[in-house]
Amino acid sequence: MLVENGLVCSNGILSDDVRFMIIQAPKVVEIAQPGQFVMVKKEEGSTFLRRPFGIADVNKAEGKLLLIYRVAGKGTKELANMEPSSEISVEGPLGGGFKFAEAELAGEGKTLLIGGGVGIAPMIYTARHLAEANPENKPVFLMGVRNADELFWQEYLQDFTDSIEVTTDDGSAGRKGFAIDALPDILAKYDIKHIKICGPTIMMEGLAKMAMEKGIECQVSLEKRMACGIGVCLGCTFEGKQSGKRWKICHDGPVFPAEEVFA
Amino acid sequence: MNLERIATDFAGIKMKTPVMGASGTFGFGLEYKDFLDLKQVGAIISKGITPLPRAGNEGVRIAETPSGMLNCIGLENPGIDKFLSDILPKVRQEAPDTTFIANFSANTVEDYGVMAAKLDVDGIDGIEVNISCPNVKEGGIVFGTDPKAAAAVTESVKKHTKKSVIVKLSPNVTDITVMAKAVEDAGADAVALINTLTGMVIDTRTWKPLLGNITGGLSGPAVKPIALRMVWQVANTVKIPILGLGGICTGQDAVEFLLAGATAVAVGAENFVHPDAVVTVAEGIDNYLENRGLSHVSQLVGQLKA
Repeated sequence: MLVENGLVCSNGILSDDVRFMIIQAPKVVEIAQPGQFVMVKKEEGSTFLRRPFGIADVNKAEGKLLLIYRVAGKGTKELANMEPSSEISVEGPLGGGFKFAEAELAGEGKTLLIGGGVGIAPMIYTARHLAEANPENKPVFLMGVRNADELFWQEYLQDFTDSIEVTTDDGSAGRKGFAIDALPDILAKYDIKHIKICGPTIMMEGLAKMAMEKGIECQVSLEKRMACGIGVCLGCTFEGKQSGKRWKICHDGPVFPAEEVFA
Repeated sequence: MNLERIATDFAGIKMKTPVMGASGTFGFGLEYKDFLDLKQVGAIISKGITPLPRAGNEGVRIAETPSGMLNCIGLENPGIDKFLSDILPKVRQEAPDTTFIANFSANTVEDYGVMAAKLDVDGIDGIEVNISCPNVKEGGIVFGTDPKAAAAVTESVKKHTKKSVIVKLSPNVTDITVMAKAVEDAGADAVALINTLTGMVIDTRTWKPLLGNITGGLSGPAVKPIALRMVWQVANTVKIPILGLGGICTGQDAVEFLLAGATAVAVGAENFVHPDAVVTVAEGIDNYLENRGLSHVSQLVGQLKA
């Protein structure tokens, strides 16, 4: 973990309210793992606290990281208006990221990655990680988005996945409905041994419960309002369902075994 | 940093710098070791410890506000037994040279005494009595808004410890000097001020409070002018040393508190934003002293020309 003065390389529009930002932050990028996050801040900007974002992808050779975020409030609006070459403070990499079983990295069985909305972002790097470990057996991806305007995710994912299943809330692309509606077919089609999910809690709950019923190892990435990102403010704690332990999402997660969250 | 120039004795508590990490914003100190040298931290003030473990409040606990933030954590902590058996030994092992102050609260005057007795052990350099958490009924606020109750808590704590006792005051009172005088008369070795100011945020889409606890404690730069005013008022009222805090982000901010009458300062919410702030604020004070040709930080304390 460290704080680095990053540089905005590019900042662009992906859909109505989704933006991407590429930041040069070589020290953070060098040690970043899939599923980890950063907290960024425009110094002398209009917000006080940093804002947490999952690391969408990294280019280790160039020392760059990709963030994909929805413009939701003052902080994200300000980020969206940052010009290339402006400075941005990057704290990270934070949290522990996804765990990968040895057999999973060795290509035994299939991994299903599921993302909902901007929760798809950290799954890009996760897909890359698996695809680079096993070019012959890339993960299957299930993405749940609002509508056909949000299909831009596919471009980020296609090189790292064997197939991408899409659901949209309004049926304007892929299957109409939620990600969970597509899950039974995917489980019937592939020998899924591992599932990793990032998305809204309500979405993850249904998917994780189905995974647990089928006995498939499942990890979920959580999000909650936090101030510090390093386990100090205690804004993001919850009680583990299985262990009864008090976990800090920022420090002990953000990724947890599904049983610990939704049992 | 010229450590001779900024070494501070705060109510008998020896510190390498006059800058502490404020309770609730600095964990137990070790969380920050990736970001700063703990040897350059004036003191770690622990997260508030209570007699039993606490899970804290439900729902949203953090909200950004103009130039600051609200929190309603609700004193989540592992309880004093786990603190003494697991956390304190680890802190002493990994940060043996850093001054450590334990912050605590309890439900009754008697329990404050019991806590003080339990904390009267090696490895703790001073204790900070929390009578001002605005988010929990048992967080001491009932003691922090009534001068007689505050005095009773202070006496109970003093009776059970040999350590220097700092009483942390709430700004959510009509006249903070009355509270400061009451705890001074009851034997407090120092006062810390201010704890957070009670506030709230409403979500206009849902017509619901944003915070799970409805109200929370406001901190950050937004509260600095109020904190500074209160430190100045208290400095004109009591003789015991003052730990000044509330929105300090820079060395300049800290110098203002020192001039107003604080002997030492603590950095709070700013730790969340810049995790090396406790050290950069100390460096800022040291630079200020150097530029002003002053030989020791104590030359600033209470020197406001008003």
